[in-house]
Parts: sequence; structure tokens; C-alpha cells
Amino acid sequence: MLQSENILATVEMIQKENLDVRTVTMGINLLDCRGGSVRATCKRIREKIASRAGRLVAACDAASEKFGIPVVNKRIAVTPIAFVGAGFMRDDFVAIAQALDAAASEVGVDILGGFSAQVEKGLTASDRELIAAIPEAIATTAKICSSVNIASSQKGINMDALAMMGKTVKALAEKTAAQGGFGAAKLVVFCNQPGDNPFMAGAIHGLEEADAVLNVGVSGPGVIARALERRIAERGVAALPLDELAENIKQTTFRVTRCGELIGRRVSEALGVDFGVVDLSLAPTPAIGDSVGEIFKILGVDAIGAPGSTAILAMLNDAVKKGGIFASKTVGGLSGAFIPVMEDAALAAAVGEGALSLEKLEAMTCVCSVGLDMVAIPGSVDADTISAIIADEMALGVVNHKTTAARLIPVPGKEAGEMVSFGGLFGASPVMAVKNVGQSSRFIAWGGRMPAPVHSFKN
Amino acid sequence: MKQMVLSILTKDRPGVIADVTGAIFRLQGDLADLNQSVLWGYLTMILIVNFPDTVTKATLAAAIAASEGAADFQVSVKELAAPLTSGPPVPKETFIMTVQAANRGGLVYQVSRFCCERGINILDLTTTLRDDRYVMALQLDLTGIVSLAALREDLSAFADTMGLSLTLQHNDLFQATEEVRLH
Repeated sequence: MLQSENILATVEMIQKENLDVRTVTMGINLLDCRGGSVRATCKRIREKIASRAGRLVAACDAASEKFGIPVVNKRIAVTPIAFVGAGFMRDDFVAIAQALDAAASEVGVDILGGFSAQVEKGLTASDRELIAAIPEAIATTAKICSSVNIASSQKGINMDALAMMGKTVKALAEKTAAQGGFGAAKLVVFCNQPGDNPFMAGAIHGLEEADAVLNVGVSGPGVIARALERRIAERGVAALPLDELAENIKQTTFRVTRCGELIGRRVSEALGVDFGVVDLSLAPTPAIGDSVGEIFKILGVDAIGAPGSTAILAMLNDAVKKGGIFASKTVGGLSGAFIPVMEDAALAAAVGEGALSLEKLEAMTCVCSVGLDMVAIPGSVDADTISAIIADEMALGVVNHKTTAARLIPVPGKEAGEMVSFGGLFGASPVMAVKNVGQSSRFIAWGGRMPAPVHSFKN
Repeated sequence: MKQMVLSILTKDRPGVIADVTGAIFRLQGDLADLNQSVLWGYLTMILIVNFPDTVTKATLAAAIAASEGAADFQVSVKELAAPLTSGPPVPKETFIMTVQAANRGGLVYQVSRFCCERGINILDLTTTLRDDRYVMALQLDLTGIVSLAALREDLSAFADTMGLSLTLQHNDLFQATEEVRLH
């Protein structure tokens, strides 16, 4: 029997509350594409991507049409290219990035991730060449995203790679100065990077994965926000303890995740590709009403970044995981709440109001998924300071056994408070102030490795 | 053995099902399937029953009429020429259409006519009226529809013309968001 109230609740999620499937990301193994020359390798890469992902966009569009749920992005994640192009030089890696870009355009996906290296313990010659290639590779391509995993709870932090990444972030921002340093928005530095994350810029197809797999990222902060508002309006503030709101988030997340699970299963069936995971992250967009930041205010702080904000985020992140885990056969990726400043209108506004500082943001990343994400900082901040900010974020991940990441954009020619805008899903925000610039160079200069913490030795 | 389709309409009260099935039992009938619904205090019930060949429409009606409290029953009986073993197969895929509008006459007619003109079978329909807003949820069999995109365009134009807020979603979406098990 039809239950019209339940039906309308689901319809409202899609129509009015910005529920969508943020991304269907196909992971593709490229390890079998290494040829005798970079030219041969590029050719094989393009052929493999075309053969695996040629029908991805059409299959997503068909599922979207059938189920009436928008699939906002179709993406590809590939094997970290430092493995694929082992033995190649810097310019060769740039050529591979351009071949990947062409392949992404050929199959019509929005973005492709995996121009990546995994160097948490040590750097191979190929890793060094790939990292050296990142600024040119990203600046000369439209759809390629890059990520480098420089730390893990098992291995600690690779301080040599850390120093290189500060310089790389800065070089990439400067190479794309005409677009406000936009290139840096497509480069992310990781600790404990998952191999099945469908979200960008950090999507890769991990070495542990099968030849091809489909991962889905859901969205839905707007759905959570509206569900909370409805609950509060129904019950009144006085009679509503926080655990009931957490329960409300759990139930809503279940429904949101189920939509992703449904689309993922159907697209997988259509393509004959294994369905990997649903990443149940709450991923905001710059659209009004699709904000994680807004949920902070609904849950009781008048300014995002005010005392209490970290606790609220901890509860939100936990409730999202609990609601989503049961909704999906397999969850993975990052799975939690994102706080990408530029991509979230409410977070960006809090930066403008002076309510949200870099330090508070760092504290908040201890309890949510990812980390310092899409944070615009002054272009004058030196590379070592950028490395040191990344180091702090990596340490949080290493010690807490969680994924953390830094996607910092040193906006060339802009100082704290000035606006920067990248448009579309990448959003806009004021540049965030960085305190104590230029005070960390001696620390970064040590190089070597920061050892893994004692609790990593579980064998 | 003969098979009959029986329908009962009555004011709802405790004992309706006992009255009807008691009469069937006394006639050695075997109940194959039953569905009932209550709307604003009125109960309607449809039953498929297998009877011995000796039972006729008249004996069945008389048996039910003899039940305690059966005075207000409206009974209708149809004897089937060939017995059924099950209903027609349920379509593999169904869609849910929701229609919302300020309450006025002819809403259900207009929507059902739209469906009828396109050969769309309405498998289930529920309506609610709240705060003068009329809400319909229809489960549709779109087997005969060639292009879902074209139907969506038609629906959009229909909704604009009629002043309706209208959505069409795949049934699996509601199963996914409302039920524990996902197929």
C-alpha cells in the first residue's frame, strides 16, 4: 500500500533539499599500460580508459533519468601514476597527464584523479619526477587532479616529501596565477589516503583494487539541515535533547545513502563493473541550502567556529557514519562530514566575518573526514609555512588513525580578507589569515621521517 | 470445484471478517486470497474463494445474509468461468507519480485521464486532503511507454496547464529509502 507521507518525504529530499548523487567515480587500474616509451604508454592509457569508461557517462545519465536523481559528476580515478610511469622522467609524466586529460575528454567525464604518488615512507626516483611534474601537469590540463600521500599511521610522516609539497603547492598556484591560483585546488596532500575514495581532488584507484570498480559519493547536507529544522519545529527547542537530533541525522543519512547505493548498483549492473563502495560523506556545494556550515547554526552555535563547533562536528560526523553504514553493502572512501571552506557558502561567510580561523578549522578536522580543504591563504605565505601547516594536519591523521588532507590555495597577489572565486562547485571565499608566517623553516629543513606513533605497532 | 469473486461493502465494525469467512467456511469454501480496505469508517473487501460445485451465487449470498450483523452488507458475487491460480504478473518495474494541488473538483479524473490516454495502468492510488491541499500518490505501470524522457516532458506540460505540482520517480527509490532490504 502506498504511504503518501513517506513518498512525499523522499520526493522533497530530491526536489527541494538538493539531494543528489555527487559523483559516480570509476576506478581503473592502469598498471598494465606501461609501454616501452612514454608515447606507447600514453596510447595504452587512452585505449584502456576508453574501453573501460566509454559508456560510463551514458549509463549514469540513464540511471539519473530513470530514478529522477541527479548524478552531478561522472569521474574517473586511476592507479597512482607514479606506479604506472615507473622509470619515466618529469616531462614524460607531464605527457601522461595530458594523455589522461585527453582520455577524460574523450569519454566525457568531468574530472580524473590519480596523478599521484604514495610516498609516506620513502621517495623513489619516479615519485620525485612525478612530484616535479605536478605544477606543469595540472596547469596545462583541464580535468586532471593530483594527490600525494606523504604520511600514514603505520609509517609516520615523510618529511622530505612534506618539504617538497609546500613548494609544489606554491609553484602550482603561481603557475595558475591568472585564475587565482586555481591549480592548487586540484592538488591535495594526504595522510592515510584511501584507495576507493570517489571524491576529488584525492580520488585514486588503489593498488589493492580490482581492474575496474565503481564507487559512489553521496551529498545531502541540505537534506540533513532541512530534516533537523523540521524536527525542531515539530518538537520545539525546549523538549528536544541533542541525542534525538543525532538520531534524526542518522535516519536522514540512511535515506540519503540508500539513494547512492541504488544508483551505484544500477550503474554497475548496466556497465558490468563491480560496485565498490558508497562514500557517505556530507559534501556541500556553494549553493545556498546545500551547506554543512549551516548545520552548525541549526545545532546551536550562532557563529561557525564559535566554541562548541568542534563538538557539533564530532556528533554530525558520527551520526552520518552510523546512519550510512547500514544503508550500504560496503562503505569506504572518506565517509564523514566535509568542511571545504570555499565550496561551502556558510563556511566561506564565517571566514569573512572573522568567526572561523585557520586554527579552529584545524581543530575541527580532528573530528571529521578529510582536513584543511579548499582553504585560500595569502599568496605571500612561503612554501615552508605551507609545508608546516600540512605537517600539523598530517600529524592529526597519523596519531588519530584517520584520513587527513590539506588542500591549500596560496592565492597569488592576494592577502587575508580579499575574495577569491573559482566558480562552479569549487566556490568562493575570502582569503584566510595565516598567523606566524615564516616561523617554521628550521622544522621543515630537518627532512627525513617523523616516526610512526607507538600505537601503530600492533603486530 | 468452482471459483467465485466476492465483494462486500459495509460500515466497519468488529466481526465483519469473521461473519464473511464464517459463511464461506460453512459452505466448505477455500479462501484463495483476500484484500480489504477501510476508508472513513467504511470497509470494502474483495475475496477469491474456491467452492464445491454445489455452491451457487444464490446460496453464497444467502449464507452471508444469514450471518449475525450482516444486515447492512452490500454483497456482489461473480462466478469465474475458468479458475485463476494467481493474478496477472506484477510488472518488473513500476513508477510512483505524486500530484499535489489546491483542492478542486476533477483532479483525479484529469490525472487518470492523462494516464488512460497513454495506456498507463494505475496499479495503486492513494489520496489525502490536508489544509485544502489535495495529494495523490499513484503507482504506475509504464511498460507501454517507449520514452521516459518524452513522458516526463508530457507530464511537465500537463502539470503547467493544470496547475499541478507533479513528480515521477522510480518505485525502487522509495523501496530503497523506506525499507531495510534493498533488492
